[in-house]
Amino acid sequence: MSNKPVNHARAAEHFLEDAPHLQFHDERLWDMRQKRDAQMHILPEWQELREEASRIKEHTLSRLPEYLEQFEANAKKNGIHVHWARDGAEHNRIVGEILKAHNARNLIKSKSMVTEECDMRPYLAKQGVSVTETDLGERIQQLDDQLPSHIVVPAVHKLTSDVAKIFAKDYHTDPNIRDPHLLAEAQRQAARPVILHADAGMTGGNFVVAETGTFVVCTNEGNADLSATVPNLHIATIGIERLVPRMADLGVFIRLLSRSALGSPITQYTTHFRGPQKGGEMHVVLVDNGRSARLGMEDFWTSLKCIRCGACMNTCPVYRRSGGLSYGAVYSGPIGAIIDPTFNERKYSTLPYASTLNGSCTNVCPVKINIHEQLYKWRRVLVQHHEMPFVKREIMHMAGKLMGQPKLYRAAIKATEVSLGTMPRFVLYNWLNPWGKHRENPHPVKQTFNDWYRRNREKARPAAAPETKK
Amino acid sequence: MNPARDEILQALRNNRPTPENHPLPPVRTLGDLDASRERFIASLKILGGDVLEPVEGETLDQAIARRHPDAKVICSNVPEARGTLPVEKVKTPQDAATIDVTVVRAPFGIAEMGSIFLSESQLPINSFAHLGQHIVVLLSPDSITANMHTAYQERPEFRSANYGVLMSGPSATADIQGVLIRGAQGVRSLSVWFA
Amino acid sequence: MKIGLFIPCYIDAFYPEAGIATLELLEKLGQDVEYPLDQTCCGQPMGNSGCNSDAAAAEALFVRNFAKYDKIVMPSGSCTHHVRDNFDAIPQTDEVRHVRENTYELVEFLHDILKVDAFPWAEFNHTVGLHNSCGTLRALRTASMSELGEKPFSKPMDLLSKVRGIRFVTPKRPDECCGFGGTFSVTEEAVSAKMGVDKVRDHYQAGADYIVSADSSCMMHQQGCAERAGVPIRFIHIAQILNGAAQ
Repeated sequence: MSNKPVNHARAAEHFLEDAPHLQFHDERLWDMRQKRDAQMHILPEWQELREEASRIKEHTLSRLPEYLEQFEANAKKNGIHVHWARDGAEHNRIVGEILKAHNARNLIKSKSMVTEECDMRPYLAKQGVSVTETDLGERIQQLDDQLPSHIVVPAVHKLTSDVAKIFAKDYHTDPNIRDPHLLAEAQRQAARPVILHADAGMTGGNFVVAETGTFVVCTNEGNADLSATVPNLHIATIGIERLVPRMADLGVFIRLLSRSALGSPITQYTTHFRGPQKGGEMHVVLVDNGRSARLGMEDFWTSLKCIRCGACMNTCPVYRRSGGLSYGAVYSGPIGAIIDPTFNERKYSTLPYASTLNGSCTNVCPVKINIHEQLYKWRRVLVQHHEMPFVKREIMHMAGKLMGQPKLYRAAIKATEVSLGTMPRFVLYNWLNPWGKHRENPHPVKQTFNDWYRRNREKARPAAAPETKK
Repeated sequence: MNPARDEILQALRNNRPTPENHPLPPVRTLGDLDASRERFIASLKILGGDVLEPVEGETLDQAIARRHPDAKVICSNVPEARGTLPVEKVKTPQDAATIDVTVVRAPFGIAEMGSIFLSESQLPINSFAHLGQHIVVLLSPDSITANMHTAYQERPEFRSANYGVLMSGPSATADIQGVLIRGAQGVRSLSVWFA
Repeated sequence: MKIGLFIPCYIDAFYPEAGIATLELLEKLGQDVEYPLDQTCCGQPMGNSGCNSDAAAAEALFVRNFAKYDKIVMPSGSCTHHVRDNFDAIPQTDEVRHVRENTYELVEFLHDILKVDAFPWAEFNHTVGLHNSCGTLRALRTASMSELGEKPFSKPMDLLSKVRGIRFVTPKRPDECCGFGGTFSVTEEAVSAKMGVDKVRDHYQAGADYIVSADSSCMMHQQGCAERAGVPIRFIHIAQILNGAAQ
């Protein structure tokens, strides 16, 4: 994997050039945010639910080893095989071995961000396993060989015409179809035989209940249920942070998840797996892949509370105008920008800067992750770890020095006032050229406030240097 | 024994925040506690499900035929409906693929969401709930619980079933340009028959 | 009560009229206000970019300038947010704590401390759209936030509604960020400018002649976007309206 920092700004600029896609993307996600707001207004207990969810998650994370052991014991009792994977490679190897032991060549799967993290599909392809995504959006992305651009609506950056083109190639449908119903039907018809002949099914897991050994999968299409109930082998890949202690805790999370994500009260399917079906076999792979290390990061461990609803993406004005793919990472948007640097600090060093720190993400987060404050803190960490480009770092250093010296600062202002046709360089520190690309510069003024004050008020008070308070 | 397991658990023990600072909050029951049939129906409709109301003394079989006039294969797992395909014929998960309408009984519903619960106890085989084109669900109006809190606290099925699904309306997607489509990969429609 | 007035660098250089209005308004309200001449910056640009240690000199100077005042007032939400919430590049002495605890954004100061109930000199016969900067809205909480579903309130609206002749319109996305974001405006200029133009169009389509805000930095950016895109809308700092701007 290349370590080169993701150029979010350039990718975003490219995204902005395509007006129809941009407009749809912005409006669709904003609509999801509006629907989420409507659900919030229906429930007077919304803020209490968020608080409960946050506290349950923080508690669970603080006792994660105990709850994982409890889950494992209960799951085993119910006949589930439990596996542990330290990283993506280990996860892929485990899944590969399970499939091999069953001579399974055709795997159908529902959406799982963890398998994206592990880059599992290419690994299994090399082992001769054919992997078919069954979630419509994820399938579109698979056929187009792209990462999901959003964790809930993976193909939200595409228009119907894009999907028609992709399906025409693989499903031999008419490339000029403009009715999404026809395309969704084409997916259903194409997926059915694959589902019926699959050797194994794979799902993720939204929640894991320690006290019962249950894991819960939430989907709208029913594709996870098909993936789990038609083949007799079910493998679930789950991040170790997904635990909740009690069955009753699901009440809080299920009430928040889909309302936050899509603005619907609940996903159409909320499925509880507690053991294999008649004649079947069930495996759970618990994946760490950096999570245990993140738990030790004082400023960032609460990002592990995330329930992957995508509300922070929907509300983010930067995400809506740059598209998920511009983040160049499995996780995009505000939550991605605070998680991705834990996977690769250099590569994702630009992402905490792809934010205005406006704070809307924090307000919509159903588990109260202080996302914008973590973005701010990541910037400090990245600078301390020398992950800021040298020129930018130097400019900040010079600006900081100048700001500590009032006389030099005034002289700098005077100098720019003379040549104020251009943007005065001291204010935004020299690397200002991009300002004027899509914006006019501020207008020059005859005198600064400081000058005005000297002329109009100074005589009223002594000119001595300010003294510090005793 | 299992180096991955031990290493992960040890790292978590080393890195976790102080457990004493994060006590487990008590279980709470929040929100509207209305468990009425009316609330259930309103919620069900929001999620695209519908109620199958009997017309003038209709039997369930007649009502299903009226709602799904083109259905050829109707398979019932409840005594209230006969169907056309004996449920004993559905033996493997794939066998359910030919069904046009499946008929099942849910042990309970949730008023807040219009959800019905199904588990292996109500299904001859788990895929029965998903591979058919349409599903008709029998539900007793006395078996409606108010909301998700009461459901998880009161219903024993969550703790006993190996497979338990809450279905809230038919399968749906909005993955193509945000257009909501009912009937994505699973059932195309879900109707509730109160009995 | 002795008030120290802080005028942020971009107001000093580009919008001196907003600074003058702030000073005159406080004087009209009978306040004892001083502007320490040797002030520069609060340290926010360095802090926000992660170069926190580089904010130390600016923060130390800020404290030297303002420690002797009872209250420090500034016509800028984002600078207030920095001083109050992130001003930690220097050791947290009693003096520093005093400064941080007594720094106010102008609207909060008028609304919460002075509790001003009339601006008899103020008249503004225009239709305005209010822009709350994200610093004032989500950090200082001078108004209710749409994401939280809280009971609606707005300190700037409370003040503006005491001005004769003023009319208000509400844009479709009232608390969407305008895209300034400090250094974000140059490092992510394309997204920043798009957010800005969307913001000014939203206000314009709602029928606003003016965008009024307590933050000149957002308006500097929005004005640049509006002028480039040809959106005929004007900009004014809230202090100017409350001070009786005759526009």
